[in-house]
Amino acid sequence: MIQKDPQDAIFSALAHPARRRIIDLLVRVPGASVKWIASNFKFSRIAAMKHLTVLERAGLVLSEKHGRTRKLFFNPVPIQQIYDRWTSDYSSFWAGRMADIQSRVETRAAREEKKNA
Amino acid sequence: MPEATTQADTQAKFRVEIRGSIEDVWQEITRTDAPIAAFFNSRMEVARLAPGSRLAMRTPDGKYTGVVGEILEYDPPRRFAHTFQFTQYDDPPCTVIYDLEEGANGVQFTLTIADMPVGTKTAKQMRQGGPMIVNTLKAVIETGRPSFGTRVLFGVFKLMAPMTPKKCLSENWPVDTPAATPVERNHP
Repeated sequence: MIQKDPQDAIFSALAHPARRRIIDLLVRVPGASVKWIASNFKFSRIAAMKHLTVLERAGLVLSEKHGRTRKLFFNPVPIQQIYDRWTSDYSSFWAGRMADIQSRVETRAAREEKKNA
Repeated sequence: MPEATTQADTQAKFRVEIRGSIEDVWQEITRTDAPIAAFFNSRMEVARLAPGSRLAMRTPDGKYTGVVGEILEYDPPRRFAHTFQFTQYDDPPCTVIYDLEEGANGVQFTLTIADMPVGTKTAKQMRQGGPMIVNTLKAVIETGRPSFGTRVLFGVFKLMAPMTPKKCLSENWPVDTPAATPVERNHP
């Protein structure tokens, strides 16, 4: 049996073009209202709210109450986690490169110290 | 564009769920005894852990200071907030707020950056740094150390330290005397 992947919610939230568009809008206008988000679509405010709920459950949208209205924010952290999931294995490559740079910098520093002595 | 030009466009939020205790998370973000991995391995120095106190984020050896500010709220283990100003830039300060909330799967940790000066290097750096701060905090609490990539980055910081501008030297940024450039407190 395939185990449920905790990132399923993120991928299914991102699978819908309207929800990706909502994220685009929130990147441009952090703290936008539900009303303003809905005004950018042809579908109803109820439909917009349904999409927002999916995004919120996936942790991609954060909603903050301000009196009677809500301010919406895009949370980029889940996207970063997706990135880290497949790229961290390649970090060892960078570690090797960085170690190279370090030894080159240190060798040069030692050489210059000798020259100045 | 209606409602587009609100105060909020100077804000950014980053949230992560951390499997751990709220006390452990609080202790990690307010520690002054060791570098804080989630804060780019900075060592936090304060006059006191209380509102009104000056704060500085220094390199692990204490030589350079990257960030200074003033504590606005210190409410363990729920909220820590302070002003935040890069010593390297001449931008006005912004505000960082750390909110901790106990949830079903551990701690819901939210980083809010407010009052970001629009179009500045500060705003760009804060937006870029957010995911790394919350994900490193998660890694430290859940696994005991930052991810491999983050540890590599700290190594790079160490290599780049000699290139730090002179104005960032810690002697220019004490925490126990009033700051040379007063920090505005315009956040509620």
